Amino acid sequence: MHPNLSFEQAPPITVPYRFFLTAPLFGVVAGLLLAWLGESAVASRWSSGALALTHLLAVGFMLQAMTGAVMQFVPVAAGGNVWRPGLVAHIVHPALVIGAGALVVAFLVQEGLLFRLAGVILATAIVFLVLVVGTALLRTPARGATILSMRVAIFGLAVTALLGATLAEGLAGEASWPLLELANVHAGWGLGGWGLLLLAGVSYYVVPMFQLTPPYPARLARWLAPILLAILMLWSLQVGGWSPAWEQWVWLAGLTVGAGFAGVTLWLQQRRRRRVSDPTLLFFRGAMLCMIGLLLSAVVMTMFPAVAEHPRTPYWLGVLVLPGVFVSAINGMLYKIVPFLNWLHLQRLMGLGMLPPNMKEMIAERAMVAQMRVHFAAVILLLAGAIMPELARLAGIVFAASCAMLGWNLIQAARFFRNFKDRMRAAAPGPAP
Amino acid sequence: MPRVIDGRELQPPEPLELALMALDTLPDDDELTMLLYCQPHPLFDILRRNGYRWTETIQDDGTHEIRIRKA
Repeated sequence: MHPNLSFEQAPPITVPYRFFLTAPLFGVVAGLLLAWLGESAVASRWSSGALALTHLLAVGFMLQAMTGAVMQFVPVAAGGNVWRPGLVAHIVHPALVIGAGALVVAFLVQEGLLFRLAGVILATAIVFLVLVVGTALLRTPARGATILSMRVAIFGLAVTALLGATLAEGLAGEASWPLLELANVHAGWGLGGWGLLLLAGVSYYVVPMFQLTPPYPARLARWLAPILLAILMLWSLQVGGWSPAWEQWVWLAGLTVGAGFAGVTLWLQQRRRRRVSDPTLLFFRGAMLCMIGLLLSAVVMTMFPAVAEHPRTPYWLGVLVLPGVFVSAINGMLYKIVPFLNWLHLQRLMGLGMLPPNMKEMIAERAMVAQMRVHFAAVILLLAGAIMPELARLAGIVFAASCAMLGWNLIQAARFFRNFKDRMRAAAPGPAP
Repeated sequence: MPRVIDGRELQPPEPLELALMALDTLPDDDELTMLLYCQPHPLFDILRRNGYRWTETIQDDGTHEIRIRKA
């Protein structure tokens, strides 16, 4: 018989959905903020507008969606029993919303008290989430590359949060910490340690399953997490106060690992067993191309120092990694996960002998394709903003429209679930008179 | 209904749909075999809740062969 994995701890559907439905709202706010700030937001990595936009996407969009995915994925696919998921979601979800909001406002108005407040709320919520999910991942009897990758990703999230709280305290007070180096290390752990490793861990599982590709090569899946962890450790040495000559090569090595994962994913997509292209596959393809674009950009920066020193180069990299890689991949993933969760939960309610409606009815394909086109138009406009900053306002409006369409499509799926459930209840025979 | 479901070329939840239909008509002393490229955790959950037992073997090409019968 099958090992004693317990998969009956799947959380109520409201647990992932509250995170999934909130994420696009932060994307809309990010787009509108860019449209409002215009060229000033793209002028420098350290402008208050750029930092607010970065955290609207990283904490508002990414962290919300990824927390929802973790809360669902760990019990169902990794066999980890998450302690009281409903209660955890009730605590973590509002804390992330309030913390992200406070952090963004703190950047915009440069208010020390708000930095401190945001740092405390976010660090507390994330450490709590890490303890709950980390315990489940450590206790699960399941093994394999997905579990390893997710364990390191959760560790990466904890490091990111603690560094973020330290930075918030540094911005709030008079501390003479090396803020520039701390910010570099914080970004490395957030995007590489947490973001990329969670994306990879989930991809090992869902890309072959939903995109009908061959499995990821075992060697890549086994070694990606430890190698990236070692690179992040080396990258963290810069906080020590010295800036070694090989720092640039550590950065390039990290991006090479990311591009390697992206290249293998594209290669697997080319070898998929059924030549069907759907929005999820295309979103993933776009995300992986942006990840390779990051490495190519870094190579150009290394060869031509004038490019590396250009004030809008960090903006270019930021667009590639946030809207390009992570928003695209999450967007594509949501279009599979949400209808699939609808289907599974309805099946559970209906019992054996009856089939839930087809997944294609949950979100109209036409609506997903339309949103995908707007999203990639936004990414192209955002990238073009690095060369023609006057495009920033238009890019912001298009990005806000894309996120609004994503939110609307997800709401349609949630409404489909609720309406179908209500109809089932109404059709069920009542108690005998 | 077929007693072997090859879900390796199908997108979720199609293999699950076929399995549910097949289980609906599966005689108590008969067996349903599923071929998949992944562990179907949601199916295991359904089987557990509805009184089925199963064995799972992994073939050299990565195929998970799951044999299901009434407990």
